[in-house]
Amino acid sequence: MNRRSVLLAATALTALPRLPALAQGAPGDPIRPLVLLTRPQAAAPAAYQAAELIAQEWRKLGLQVELRPLPNQQMSQVVWYERQRWDFTMWQMVGRPERGDPDEMVYNLLHSANIATGYNFVGYSNPDYDRLAEAQRSEMDQARRAAIVREVQEVVNRDQPYAFLVHPVNLQAFNKQVFAEGSAVNQAGLGIRNFWNWISLQPTGRQRDIIVNSTEPVKATNPFYVSGAPDSWVTDLVWDRLMRVGPDGLPQPWAAERVTQVDPLTIDCVIRQGMTHHDGTPVTTEDVVFSYEVPGMGDESPMYKPFVQNIASVTATDARTVRFVLKRPDAAFRIAVLAKLNIVSKRIWAPVVQDYLNRPQNLESFVEERPVGSGPYRFVRSRVNEEVVLEANPNHWARPKADRWIMRIILNTEATLGALRRGEINVLADYFGDPDLVKTMARQLPNMIAVREEVDIGFQFVGMNLRRPPFNDAAFRRALSAAVNREMMAGAAWNGQAVPANSMVSPALAAWHDRGIEGRVPGGNLEGARRLLQEAGYRMVGNRLHYPSGVRETTTPYQ
Amino acid sequence: MRAARATLGFLRSQPFALVGISIYLLFLVLAIFADQIATHDPRQILFSGAYRVARYLPPSATHYLGTTAGGRDIFSQLVHGTRSALTVGVTAAFCVVFLGSLMGLLAGYLGGWVDRIIMRLSDIVLGLPFLPFVLVISALTRPGTVTLVASVALMLWPNTARVIRSQVLSLRERGWVEAARVTGCSPMRIIFVHIAPQVAPLAALYGSIAVGWAILTEASASFLGFGDPAAISWGLMLQDAFANQALSREAWNWFIPPGLCIVALVLAGFLVSRGSEKLLFPKLGD
Amino acid sequence: MKRVLGRLGHAIFVLWAVASLTFVMFRLMPGDPTLNFLSESFSEEMRAALLTSFGLDRPLPEQYVLYLGSLLRGDLGVSFLQKKPVLDILLDALPNTVALTVTALVIAYAFGIIAGAFLAFARGSVTEGIAIPAALITRAAPEFWLGMILLAWLSFAWGIFPSSGANEAGSEFTSEWARLTSADFLWHLVLPALTLALYLQGLPLLLMRATMLEVLNDEFIVMARMKGLSRWAIVMRHAARNALLPVATAFALGLGSSFGGNVVIETVFSWPGLGRVLVSAVQGADYPLAQGAFILIAAVLVTMNMVADLLYAWLDPRVSVGARR
Repeated sequence: MNRRSVLLAATALTALPRLPALAQGAPGDPIRPLVLLTRPQAAAPAAYQAAELIAQEWRKLGLQVELRPLPNQQMSQVVWYERQRWDFTMWQMVGRPERGDPDEMVYNLLHSANIATGYNFVGYSNPDYDRLAEAQRSEMDQARRAAIVREVQEVVNRDQPYAFLVHPVNLQAFNKQVFAEGSAVNQAGLGIRNFWNWISLQPTGRQRDIIVNSTEPVKATNPFYVSGAPDSWVTDLVWDRLMRVGPDGLPQPWAAERVTQVDPLTIDCVIRQGMTHHDGTPVTTEDVVFSYEVPGMGDESPMYKPFVQNIASVTATDARTVRFVLKRPDAAFRIAVLAKLNIVSKRIWAPVVQDYLNRPQNLESFVEERPVGSGPYRFVRSRVNEEVVLEANPNHWARPKADRWIMRIILNTEATLGALRRGEINVLADYFGDPDLVKTMARQLPNMIAVREEVDIGFQFVGMNLRRPPFNDAAFRRALSAAVNREMMAGAAWNGQAVPANSMVSPALAAWHDRGIEGRVPGGNLEGARRLLQEAGYRMVGNRLHYPSGVRETTTPYQ
Repeated sequence: MRAARATLGFLRSQPFALVGISIYLLFLVLAIFADQIATHDPRQILFSGAYRVARYLPPSATHYLGTTAGGRDIFSQLVHGTRSALTVGVTAAFCVVFLGSLMGLLAGYLGGWVDRIIMRLSDIVLGLPFLPFVLVISALTRPGTVTLVASVALMLWPNTARVIRSQVLSLRERGWVEAARVTGCSPMRIIFVHIAPQVAPLAALYGSIAVGWAILTEASASFLGFGDPAAISWGLMLQDAFANQALSREAWNWFIPPGLCIVALVLAGFLVSRGSEKLLFPKLGD
Repeated sequence: MKRVLGRLGHAIFVLWAVASLTFVMFRLMPGDPTLNFLSESFSEEMRAALLTSFGLDRPLPEQYVLYLGSLLRGDLGVSFLQKKPVLDILLDALPNTVALTVTALVIAYAFGIIAGAFLAFARGSVTEGIAIPAALITRAAPEFWLGMILLAWLSFAWGIFPSSGANEAGSEFTSEWARLTSADFLWHLVLPALTLALYLQGLPLLLMRATMLEVLNDEFIVMARMKGLSRWAIVMRHAARNALLPVATAFALGLGSSFGGNVVIETVFSWPGLGRVLVSAVQGADYPLAQGAFILIAAVLVTMNMVADLLYAWLDPRVSVGARR
């Protein structure tokens, strides 16, 4: 025994209780160069900047991280259809009203049933998680369900299948010379870009139109097809639903006057009296039943089909009551189904559906000359890259205060601000630019610009491919996540317009969010990350991180 | 030696060309010594404290042109952007000249079906809208410098080819070409040894215009989000500046310099071509 | 007449080739058009159904034949995302692009011709020393850069011109023609048209100047001058007429090429034209729409190339059809 090994043995003995890995001998193979997928800077400047910052931090751990900007399409192609191929990717979940219920984020994203082709593209599989995600679905008691949802978040925090980054903060503004400031309504997780605001904004002068910007064109105005966020803002106003997600994020009766849970599988909806479609015909229970039957017919409405799969039957029990019988209890049924599906006129749609059932295309291809709904706004016209114009429906029981609702498509961020300043738009609802500029404008024009901020339901994250080592090791993932400084992400990548995230349930959903979880990332910081790696047996050799002893690198690098 | 003196004399008599050549030389120096001239790594995110990114810094002694929204040194990006501009411009020009001359020479000298095929091809290319084609190709393949240069070359060769062809048509009837043919020179030898040198200056003229086209195209493609995401180019700098609302921030230091550099380099190509036009076609100008 | 027919046949051949090339280009696209629909609820069966509904599951030769057949019938297919006939979407955007292109070209050529003629007279003057480089600079500057700077000054800072779009929000018109001739539309048109014109005026200016110089040196002009005709009369009677030929040809060619080149200007000014349709379709991998927009732009280009040829031949019978640019 030479001197060196004596020394080693001595060190090993004393250090054994604290650092067992040290005794296990030579480190494993060096970890292959890892490729982080991101959208190009031009397409997603904040996410790209975040990716650069994250890569800089991870390199400090001894990893070779290369950024690979891919156009939207190619990135989706790789991540979604070539699930064995990539290492990690920048990704996001956007906020939508129906995501006000945590079910969608909690169940769909990480349940192992969705690994092969569904949204669980990271390949996270944990029976504990699955059990909890299923349990919250059928738990009808709000308090108990909230407890389960918090438990789910703890499990995810422990396993870190994603490195959560931030929840964006929506920055929105409106012209208070045009609208009474007090009439603006904020919705949890969405801000002033919401249904309630559009019917509540009270014009004070001659300008009686709501003119709101969108950075994306509206592609379709169809009650059975939504192809992007702006589409849904329009359908939301033109078609009514039985319930609506309220400003507090909870479902409330709307076209249904009363919604009663008869038993865990049976729900009765009593519809309001005197409602009419935009063509003057009354809204009947038949219309409602029909609206819930159509998505289940063949593949006529793929976007809405999943939402009616749990409905065993829907029937009109009398002139005003519609009864839903479910296949299994569903806690999210009100928000995800009753507040989501549009009520259409059977008179108009029945022949169309008949026709399309015999065609290769589905209902998505049907373009109504002038869409007819029963909502508080009526459709006037839509020009793809220009604007959508709706007018107030004077016969609606919740008649909007404004005369028209106009959405202008403006791609150029600079021009969007210019348009707000010049009064070409009077609500800034879709803005991903520099928040300082809007705040400065509000300071310069204190009588004109009112600013609103609201934490978003959505979140930004790095998805790690658990099919590929070393990401199959939870300790490794924890370390990577710990090395990300989320405050810096929010400040330097999202212009300060974001809050740190460590859960798929946004703090905007106060009832469900696990408070303080963003401060409980295991390891906590870069130092913690180094310690976690050390404890798990990873070793630095030179400036390159190696696998724990005995682990070979068998995965081919991303090409 | 005589050639050098002739060139110098020419430049002195043609201030346009002189200015153009000087701009080229200036940018060439910048490109070659970019690493020495740049003060920072153009890609690196700079920090002004722990976890505080050095963003939107105004011009100063450490950052001659300030920093971007992402915390990168603008001056260094500008200097390194020269490389990509020259690479794109010069390779595209080279490809245009090469492809255009080759096609023009073959079509003009060989005539017959070769001529017809080449002219048909060039008609088809002239029927393709320039920028839309570049955008679609960038979207279809992996966006990058190679794609861009290739599509610019593919779109611009017909103009050169047509001019070269008509030049060759008149040259082939000259006595010395006839003489070469009689002495048994192969057509390829006549084309490339005897005729090609005669049309080279004309091709170079079209090349210098192609430099500008390629650089402008790169800038436009980048602005529309079809640029090479990994490159550091003036076009991407402008895209970055506009996306981050440099105009509203009145960050002139960010979006004016790249634009001026593009103007200068493209202008240089025009000036050189205008100057040498007079050399090539003395009748035309004066 | 025979010449016209021959040229028409040629244009049809080019169109066929462009259409075929477009087909190949778009089929070789990597990625999958169904990627637009990724969501929590998107399944494999839905993907297959989507591909079937657009005929993308058939063998390529069959797709090609179907494609050419529908093109001949003027059927450009249905947009993936909007689910509307591509032709309708394009026809909606077309008037805006035509208005922008034609206005800008007319301004550019009116200015360019006058300024070019003037500069031909002002040979060797200080004005010329400034004007020629200035004309070259406007041609060397990236359009979007100029456009953004103009927008920042004249719209955001001074508030004179609107910042985006072709009409004020929600404006109603009795007809498309009423819209295009409304004061509101023209006011929105000013900035984009000026930016485009600024970029386009260099060519007619230099062309006009060069031809004028050439003509002015011709013997018959020198003769006329010796006969004591005034300079202006000479210019009007002889020089300008001769200069018309290349300028008119360039105008026709310019109409064809700036039609597709407007992409950038339309993006800067959020102008709802064909270029925007093309860019957003390409970005969204909306094949049928991108393909349709591309073919329409190419068709205009080919047509204008043909018009330029015929114009050239008509104005100058010495020149045979075919030599141009």
